[in-house]
Amino acid sequence: MNTSAITDQPFIRVQDLDFAYPDGTRALEDVNLTISTGEFVALIGQNGSGKTTLSKCLNGLYKPTSGDVIVDGLNSKTTPIVQMVRRVGYVFQNPDHQLFNSNCWDEIAYGPRNIQLTEDEVKTRVEEAAGVVGLPEMYFGEHPFFLSKGLRQRVAIASILALRPQVIIVDEPTTGQDARQSFEIMDFLKDLNEKHAHTIVIITHDMPIVGKYARRVIVMGEGRILADGPTTEIFAHPDVLEKTFLEPPQITQLAQLARDLGFYPGTLTVEEMLTQYQVIRGRTRL
Amino acid sequence: MPLAVEIKDYTWQYLNTQQPALKNINFQVEEGTFLGVIGPNGSGKTTLAYSIDGLIPGQYNGIKQGQVHVFGKEVEEYARGQLQRIVGVVFSDPEAQFTAMTVEDELVFGMENLGMDLPEIRERLEWVTELTGLRHLLLKPPYEISGGQKQRVALAAVLAMTPRVLILDEPTSMLDPVSRRRVFDVLLKLKQEQRNTIIVIEHSLENLIPLADRMVLLSEGEMTLEGETRAFFQNMDLLIGQGIYPPGALRFFYELKRSARFEGQLPISLEDAYLELERLSSQAPSV
Repeated sequence: MNTSAITDQPFIRVQDLDFAYPDGTRALEDVNLTISTGEFVALIGQNGSGKTTLSKCLNGLYKPTSGDVIVDGLNSKTTPIVQMVRRVGYVFQNPDHQLFNSNCWDEIAYGPRNIQLTEDEVKTRVEEAAGVVGLPEMYFGEHPFFLSKGLRQRVAIASILALRPQVIIVDEPTTGQDARQSFEIMDFLKDLNEKHAHTIVIITHDMPIVGKYARRVIVMGEGRILADGPTTEIFAHPDVLEKTFLEPPQITQLAQLARDLGFYPGTLTVEEMLTQYQVIRGRTRL
Repeated sequence: MPLAVEIKDYTWQYLNTQQPALKNINFQVEEGTFLGVIGPNGSGKTTLAYSIDGLIPGQYNGIKQGQVHVFGKEVEEYARGQLQRIVGVVFSDPEAQFTAMTVEDELVFGMENLGMDLPEIRERLEWVTELTGLRHLLLKPPYEISGGQKQRVALAAVLAMTPRVLILDEPTSMLDPVSRRRVFDVLLKLKQEQRNTIIVIEHSLENLIPLADRMVLLSEGEMTLEGETRAFFQNMDLLIGQGIYPPGALRFFYELKRSARFEGQLPISLEDAYLELERLSSQAPSV
């Protein structure tokens, strides 16, 4: 288990949340959950299950049709969006949908300027955010579209970080990235979580990534929460996942097939599997 | 078996770049083969796809050396539009390929362009919507559907033209695991029933490995490894060194082998890995 401090007082409280789009399409139904400071949560579910809609409710971009979203004691219905986005930052799935300034500096400075900080404070925030995501100064003047996808994603995250939100939601952080880039981004989010005490919520289809990084999993299907619990428990019950067209990482599947040999069905990583192999081998004939 | 694709001493450098995007590439794909192409981002995978369907050198400026043959003929020698009837590409960014106002029009567009008659278009539309599960979306605008649905539309639009060679550039990057498996099931069906030649560029290896007959690894524009799938994945040191992250079961056995706790061929599928674990457990301890 990880040691990051998780406080008892939930930072986000969602109560009986329903959300319907203006055309009447129901996207969320009866959603109840709390997220505490310091958690690392994966929000998973089939395409169209309501993950992105829920995220946009959490940062106040969408207001509940009924029910409440309370963040840091503020109800999203009555709180100006400017106040909400300072607490919950949402990084778009496709950084190109978010980036619109002609250089990286202005891109990262946009949020702080928008909440009307002084230029001195803006400068501090931009330098801090660029430092955290590891964006070298030489790129400050570059047009974001000339950067690689990995760097564009960092700029996108930096522009959110500059608002210093407690909670950072990242939609599909590893889509289109190769393995090395995926781990770089995820290790970076892990650092934000462990060293900078940010609460992290990732939305992803990448189950090995969930197994390796997330400590809690929320499973969504057709706008509802179908399961919510520690990653190892959620993955240990493939029947719930199957209902939502998900499957645990391959190493978990192997452990489940090999259950009779003594492997734990909630195994999350290759490293855990190897440790068990060692133990089982010592105990039996394996 | 005739060669669907034959690439000989092929080098391509985009105009105004310092390095060739592909360097001295050599390989052949027999008709009916399922080929997986992997490599880090920026290794030249998409350039390779463009080179086989004639977008390179047709639509891009640059310097070409060597040969790219499709069914025995150099790509530039095909009359305009002819090569695209043989080679279909599904791009990694589906939006780049959309032109129509409804999903149905999007699916029909390519077939109309090929000059098919109406009854045939209808029949194929029926087949492809069934195959890809798009019926409920036919009347929607392509820009209003989700990323995963867009990828299925892009795939269906190309499938409808039934190209003999099908190239898919990260076809499932936005799909959930089950939709992803469904796309690979469609590909398997095509391979078995119609002997299409299929070339898939993918980061996600779990679904690719059981289907691929052969694999190619590109890194920094060079082909660093090529071979029959099982043999290919025995070179794990090289693959991991190139930033390729194999599926969990394979990596588990690789770690066992590295620490001398396992000998023999690495199992490349989940089922094989389980059988191997069972076999190990029925053996006397090797202490």
